Amino acid sequence: MPHQCVRCNNMYDDGSSEILNGCNCGGKLFFYVKKEALEKKQQQLKLSIEEQQQIEKDVCDIIGVDKDDLEHPVVLDLETVQIIQSGKFHIDLVKLFNKKNPLVYKLEEGKYVIDLAESFKRDNDFKKAK
Amino acid sequence: MITLMQKFIRSIFGDFFGKRKNLRIGLYGSPNGGKTTLANKICVDWLGEEMGSVSSVAHETREIQIKEQVTIKSKGKELSFNLVDTPGIATKIDYEDFIKVGMKENEAKNRAKEATKGVIDAIKWLDDMDVVVIVLDATKDPYTQVNITIIGNLQARDIPVLLVANKIDLKKADIKMIQSAFPQYDVVGISAKYGNNIDEFYESLFKISK
Repeated sequence: MPHQCVRCNNMYDDGSSEILNGCNCGGKLFFYVKKEALEKKQQQLKLSIEEQQQIEKDVCDIIGVDKDDLEHPVVLDLETVQIIQSGKFHIDLVKLFNKKNPLVYKLEEGKYVIDLAESFKRDNDFKKAK
Repeated sequence: MITLMQKFIRSIFGDFFGKRKNLRIGLYGSPNGGKTTLANKICVDWLGEEMGSVSSVAHETREIQIKEQVTIKSKGKELSFNLVDTPGIATKIDYEDFIKVGMKENEAKNRAKEATKGVIDAIKWLDDMDVVVIVLDATKDPYTQVNITIIGNLQARDIPVLLVANKIDLKKADIKMIQSAFPQYDVVGISAKYGNNIDEFYESLFKISK
């Protein structure tokens, strides 16, 4: 089973000397990663540029904005709608129902789109309700 | 608090000035529970026309549909409302499920995208509802994340809820299971498709909309 260095994210196979002696970066803490989880993750990372662009377009269609109007991506540690690939969506209903959370679309690892207009509206509604 | 005050003032003074806004009744639930079939049944019974198309393929309704000024009558009473049919709420939407039933890839992906937007819209609309009718498929396990999340949120928002156990014409239907899952709510068993027990549903709608 693979191990991942907590500091530099490098992957090491089971039995690698680095796991005993420490990673090349000096890190000595490793995540134990299940093989299935790793395969799933690798599958997600295999998206082509066209597929990634399609996903961005899908999100823009859903939130009703022009792709060119989007400003720099913003990264947050929560997401409401996760897009595995074009046409495959996971929706976190608890977060979506929770008006305190902004509406965040996760395009891929580290890349998100936030529906600002909707998030501000939610914030105002929440304050009014208080 | 403000919303509650507004509702109270509206209920007291609205009728005097004849401006009381129409009650808004929303149909919510998982995909393929029979929301649009029920909406069609209500509209055919009282307006003589259908509201939307139905399909055995999930996520047929992907946009909010509104039928204004539906007036139902029962035992000399009258109830007017705007009926809102919403897209089915799901946690996972996968275009491959649509391909399995014969859809082309592009069409399936588009349907998945629209269905996702539909879920977001349905939840956005929740605060605009005065009464929510949750349409459950009585042949399926009611203990799902979707049902529990919707019902829990309605409870927190203080929106009156009526649970409808649909598809009681099917052998597998189990109303008792739904009653025991959500004992704090009234459950009406119906068949929206064949109209079984629909009068009891209208009666319950009167009760819940008081």
